[in-house]
Amino acid sequence: MSSVTLRNVRRAYNGAWALDDVSLTAPEGKVLALLGPSGSGKSTILRLIAGLESPDSGEILIGNETVSTPGRAMPTEQRRVGMVFQDYSLFPHLTAGANVAFGLDKLARADRDEQALRWLDRMGLKHRAGAYPHELSGGEQQRVALARALAPKPRAVLLDEPFSGLDPVLRAELRDATLATLAETQTTTLFVTHDAEDALQAADQLAILKAGKLLQSATPREAYDAPASLDAAAALGPINVFEGVSEGGVVRTPFGEIASSLPNGSRAYAAVRAEAVHLKPGSAARVVDVRPHGAHDLVRLEAQGVVWRALAPARTALGERVDVALHAAGSFVFSA
Amino acid sequence: MATLICAAPAVAVITLALRPDQGDVAFGGDLLRDGAIGTALVVALGGAGAVVFGAMAAWLVSLCRFPGRGVFEWLLVIPLAAPSYVLAYAYTGITWHGAAPIEVRGLWGAAFVYAIGLYPYVYLAARAAFASQSACALEAARSLGASPWRVFWEVALPLARPGIAAGAALAMMEIAADYGAAYHFGLTTLSTAVFRAWYAHGSLDGALQIAAVLLLAAIVFLIVERRARGRAAFGGGSSRWRPLPRYQLSPLPGLLASGFCVALIAFGAVLPLAWLGRLALLHGDLGDVVQPFVNSVILSAAGALITLALAAAIAVSARRSKSIGKLSLYGAAMGYAAPGAVIAMGALALFSIAREAGWIGGLGTALALAALFWTYAARFSAAGVQPIDAGLARLSKGLDASARTLGAGPWRRLIAVDLPIAGPSLAAAALILFVEILKELPATLILRPFDFDTLAVKAYSYASDERLLQAAAPALLIFLAGLAPIIILTRGIARARAGQA
Repeated sequence: MSSVTLRNVRRAYNGAWALDDVSLTAPEGKVLALLGPSGSGKSTILRLIAGLESPDSGEILIGNETVSTPGRAMPTEQRRVGMVFQDYSLFPHLTAGANVAFGLDKLARADRDEQALRWLDRMGLKHRAGAYPHELSGGEQQRVALARALAPKPRAVLLDEPFSGLDPVLRAELRDATLATLAETQTTTLFVTHDAEDALQAADQLAILKAGKLLQSATPREAYDAPASLDAAAALGPINVFEGVSEGGVVRTPFGEIASSLPNGSRAYAAVRAEAVHLKPGSAARVVDVRPHGAHDLVRLEAQGVVWRALAPARTALGERVDVALHAAGSFVFSA
Repeated sequence: MATLICAAPAVAVITLALRPDQGDVAFGGDLLRDGAIGTALVVALGGAGAVVFGAMAAWLVSLCRFPGRGVFEWLLVIPLAAPSYVLAYAYTGITWHGAAPIEVRGLWGAAFVYAIGLYPYVYLAARAAFASQSACALEAARSLGASPWRVFWEVALPLARPGIAAGAALAMMEIAADYGAAYHFGLTTLSTAVFRAWYAHGSLDGALQIAAVLLLAAIVFLIVERRARGRAAFGGGSSRWRPLPRYQLSPLPGLLASGFCVALIAFGAVLPLAWLGRLALLHGDLGDVVQPFVNSVILSAAGALITLALAAAIAVSARRSKSIGKLSLYGAAMGYAAPGAVIAMGALALFSIAREAGWIGGLGTALALAALFWTYAARFSAAGVQPIDAGLARLSKGLDASARTLGAGPWRRLIAVDLPIAGPSLAAAALILFVEILKELPATLILRPFDFDTLAVKAYSYASDERLLQAAAPALLIFLAGLAPIIILTRGIARARAGQA
């Protein structure tokens, strides 16, 4: 296993930056999630690491070895980087077992088959070794693809939206199983997702991207509690934004004050996570909309003509008047 | 490069025909005028028949339920196996020796033979158009209270119209290009006029001029086909494929529907096949067809390999670069649209220019073969591009990337991934080309080395001597060979529909 490092990597498509000066490190044996909306450049990062594309500038290292510089790129097949593609890209003409064995061609045939079977067994798919990809369910295909990527003992493994094609129940189950396997094998992992929940739950380290730029690189806890910017805060869940002025160490919003370290009189954005807006009986705000959202209600509150969203545990009634407390851990101020 | 090879004969025909310095042997002459009128008539009649047969069959099979529907669905393609001239020989024989005292020769007989032999083009295109219609559009129409009749006229048919037009254009292109049947039925069409100008009047220039007009007609059909097919993909609606909801026909209409399909298959394939088979068994002289058979196999196999290589080059370049690819696809399509006689004249003209310039000697066996292979490649590479491209399409970029991340170098990717996946498509392409070349008549007739008879040439020369008994055996062999790719292709269609994830 090796760490993976990007240094000042840029990559342009048709004159637009797909990646603009991105530097980040996936620590050895850990899981790094690349989180961002489509077009943020997260998949490009994986393709650059795999060597399927080359950076326009900057360099990429696997361990201490430089594998990509603008002029020179080590061919993909020599990098020993495993990849699970979004559509899995299993070889349609090979059985599940033969798919897993494909990357083990340096071994003797008996060893190869035995190892492939062991990997499938580990994924709970030993009985499906003889099945062709089109005979497998989506979840089974995903697991075969993961087994195939891990079998050759790659220096790092890259997962491109690995759970996006699956239904929600299967998705959570598969995510946990995949993570368990990755942790067990101590595999350096980079995985791409647009789902904040996946990223927060699965990753040791988080890289938040938007429009080709790295917004923040931190642990999930840090990123959630101390976002580097408004965009970084918005990437991890619904937020309420209010544009105001920092005065006397606070920014005043219609729903309450938020502590600010900005100089007096400077313009500021106050951002509050929906789950940090707490309700109690009172009169400051009015409930204008209530929608069930799992165990919580997604509530819209109106005060002084401004509407915010809150995730409230208690059942709230439409039209009810409430007081609002803003939880400090989910409230931030950024300079405007 | 590939484009040049494909398009050169066709381009040569046009440029040479437009040379100002030549006497106008044919332009304004009777031959050209009669040929144009004959072609227009037979294309219109045969085309209309093919549209009626094909569209009706496609509608029945796609949107109705009646006894035997599933079997008819693929049996209806079978008439495509026989080239028109084989059907023409069979029907002359049937009406001549058989019970029916009908004169099949002439315009109406030709129109019938073209319609019954070529309706599968319309049928396939229309069926694809019906099948690709979102079941939702039809269900929506039904939920709005439309009767089956109204659904057909106001929803299904308008949606399928571009597909039907594309199929009709292909059928008409084939009719215009046909030489063997038109000649046998005594029609004067542009195709037969090319031959007459060349053989009877010995005028290469006249033949070239007529060929140029024929080529222009073919290009018009090609453009119509491309346009129509481009519009055939009506977007929108639901993208999910669901089996079409079919109307259950009540017993009597159901029986009529079955009868209609049976008639198409019987007249398009079973009857001529049975007739030829009987004649060949009763009167055929096996020794007579051995040499032509061997010649056909050698010529077709070599031609297919050369054409396959060219088609593969075009398909690969089309995937690499959009602009070059488009150009070479157009080149190939032009060759495909051009009738065999036109391409052969073009190749002949180019060779004669080369000879006059002293670059090459006389048209010996080797050169004649070269000209013939060139003609085949120009004429048929488009037919090979499509299946090869389908094979390449299965090689998604993702698979190549997968293999690379698993450490496979270029050779291993080719052997372990590319070939196994695209291989069946390559084989199918080779088979299609083999049979197309085996069936090809006019170009082979013009360019074959002296005394080198193929099955097609043999059948043609017997038939033109009114020796239909002897023509039966080679015609039967061509028919049977034609069945192979049809079966493979229809299986491919069924699989593509069922296996699409």
